Amino acid sequence: MLSLVPRDAEAAWGRILSGYRVVEGLTPAQRSLVSGIADTILPRSDTPSATDVGVTEWVDLIVAEYYAEDVRTPFIAGLDAIEAQTRSTHGRAFPELGVEMQRQIVASLDVPADRRTPEARAYSRLKSLVVYGYFTSERVQRDVLHSQMFHERFQGAADMPPRRTP
Amino acid sequence: MRQQTAWDAIVVGSGITGGWAAKELTERGLRTLVLEAGGPITAADFVEHIPSHQMKFRGYGDPEVMRRDHPIQRECYACDEVGHKFFVNDNDNPYTTPDDAPFRFFRGRQVGGRSITWGRQVYRWSDLDFEANAKDGFGNDWPIRYADIAPWYSHVEKFIGITGAPENLPQLPDGEFLPPMEMTVVERHAREKILAAFGGERVMTIGRAAVLTQVHNGRAACHYCGPCERGCATFSYFSSIGSTLPAAQATGRLTLRPNSVVAEVLYDPATSRARGVRVIDAVTMQDIEFNARVVFLCASTIESVRLLLNSKSTTFPDGLGNSSGLLGRHVMDHHYGSGASGDMPGFLDKRTIGSRPNGIYIARFRNVKTPHKDFLRGYGMQGGSSRSGWGRGGNMPGYGETFKRELIDGLGGWRLSASGWGETLPHPDNRITLNPTVKDKWGIPAAHLDVRWRENERAMDADMQVGVAEMLEAAGCTNVRTHASRNPPGHCIHEMGGARMSRTPADGVLNQWNQSWDVKNLFVTDGAAMASCACQNPSITYMAFTARAVAHAVDEINRGVL
Repeated sequence: MLSLVPRDAEAAWGRILSGYRVVEGLTPAQRSLVSGIADTILPRSDTPSATDVGVTEWVDLIVAEYYAEDVRTPFIAGLDAIEAQTRSTHGRAFPELGVEMQRQIVASLDVPADRRTPEARAYSRLKSLVVYGYFTSERVQRDVLHSQMFHERFQGAADMPPRRTP
Repeated sequence: MRQQTAWDAIVVGSGITGGWAAKELTERGLRTLVLEAGGPITAADFVEHIPSHQMKFRGYGDPEVMRRDHPIQRECYACDEVGHKFFVNDNDNPYTTPDDAPFRFFRGRQVGGRSITWGRQVYRWSDLDFEANAKDGFGNDWPIRYADIAPWYSHVEKFIGITGAPENLPQLPDGEFLPPMEMTVVERHAREKILAAFGGERVMTIGRAAVLTQVHNGRAACHYCGPCERGCATFSYFSSIGSTLPAAQATGRLTLRPNSVVAEVLYDPATSRARGVRVIDAVTMQDIEFNARVVFLCASTIESVRLLLNSKSTTFPDGLGNSSGLLGRHVMDHHYGSGASGDMPGFLDKRTIGSRPNGIYIARFRNVKTPHKDFLRGYGMQGGSSRSGWGRGGNMPGYGETFKRELIDGLGGWRLSASGWGETLPHPDNRITLNPTVKDKWGIPAAHLDVRWRENERAMDADMQVGVAEMLEAAGCTNVRTHASRNPPGHCIHEMGGARMSRTPADGVLNQWNQSWDVKNLFVTDGAAMASCACQNPSITYMAFTARAVAHAVDEINRGVL
């Protein structure tokens, strides 16, 4: 039967049959969890927070369009495990908890007793994405890091600038 | 379709060597046709100033595009989210290998070739290299020595502009240097410590690169933006499209024809000469014949050999100019990437400013004065030092305001790392042949590449790790960790050999002038001509050979013997 359809359609059909995934990102609940953890890692202060510069959307894009299935599935499962554990321990979803409780949960994930649990692995991956998404954002590059693209020369032993904050 | 015009010269390829052939041929008065398989490129195609936040995947690359178009090319660091357009579509350009001998063939088909994406490191070879085959018996004796090529190195370097620091090392001759780029504070410290620890035998110098540190021949100095492999709007690093091709154009004698896939070199048995080439127009798929008095193959090592193998005639049933039977043999690449890295304590009051398109280089020190017990030849090392900046955040414990402030204000400690680039012995079974069944988009047989690392390369890889680690320790690094390379042949993109130069016609494909022994008006001046591969990055040597070969060809034409 397949030999009757045009080649392109056949190829597309083949992809669908072999489990080709239609683009699909985070669920609303997963987005809330990612936002909550991201802003606990990089909270708003005199500089923007992670969600202020669109880190949630960045994570969503990576999940939807960048990760291969073998990375995406355990990552999502790990996020869901964090959410389930939060609910069973505290009776509420991560975003509904107070800041102190959120910090406690992130603290336990940040230095986990066992790095191999699905939760610890997903958190570690998420933290890397959050940091990368934050520091590559236009606003942080421009207003926080004051990145310059052009230089008159390369300096290999320049002095450190004064710290922004003591 | 046969073109009526006969050219003085045809050059196949418009990259590093094709550009040089075009410049030298036209400047010496020859009306020259340059045939480029890929499409045209202008400065507007460059993408080096696109910041990460303007890329959908912020530099990670679109996985669907990579999977679809570049399943092989994507393994090259330069085939990234925006720079992948300078790499071929793997579906149109297949090649094959034995199942147990992987090879990475990274290619750019466009005007400028791989001179747009190259690593820009330029190191002269020395007589340690040109005498190596004769001394240890692997490979054939080179038909030239350093003195033959030295003036041509100068000729090339003065034109393209290279930055570096003189070190007066016999195994790594100095060149015509523009001012060096700065070493970092940590590299300067390490250089002194290593000099002292190894009795002056191991010299860490600033990399020598075809990047301008001052205005040179009308091109602006580098502005230290970083990703050279994505192009350069100011042509501050050497590429053919910013340097040699404009010079050729200025003579009024250059014709550049993009989208011209050369399928074969046509041989005329009556005159024993190459008549011209058969081109397939990449867009119309039409066959066109171009004729010329001399033909220069500058298509890159594998492509030039493939082209010769595909140029079959009654006289040369096994490939043009292959009376020796050696065409396609003795293929090499540098085995590279094994080395070590470590943390350098201190220097926390210093940082770097700007992206240096260059690193440090440690000149070869093995088998220079005393023979090493485990292997022949040697390796150079490339590396550098930096502070990790916010990039360390993903793995740095912590969260919250303090964590964020530390990533914004602090840069983390210094790391120093280096890896070896090793010489591969020329082996007759490391070979390019034609695949009898697989063809590219234009119906030309694909290359079949059987190239393997062997005992000497493996022994050298092991020593690279030791060699770097002991230097880092001598420099004062802590947490020194070695790394072993798993790069297959081809990955270094320094493929060489296959149409080697030789002292006699029985012993190679080309004479000392890069001229076919069998077909006098045919020259091959890219990496295919190399009889050994030394451990230095090879492009500057190809350029010098190209300019030298053109001078010889034009001289023979003027004397009426070609």
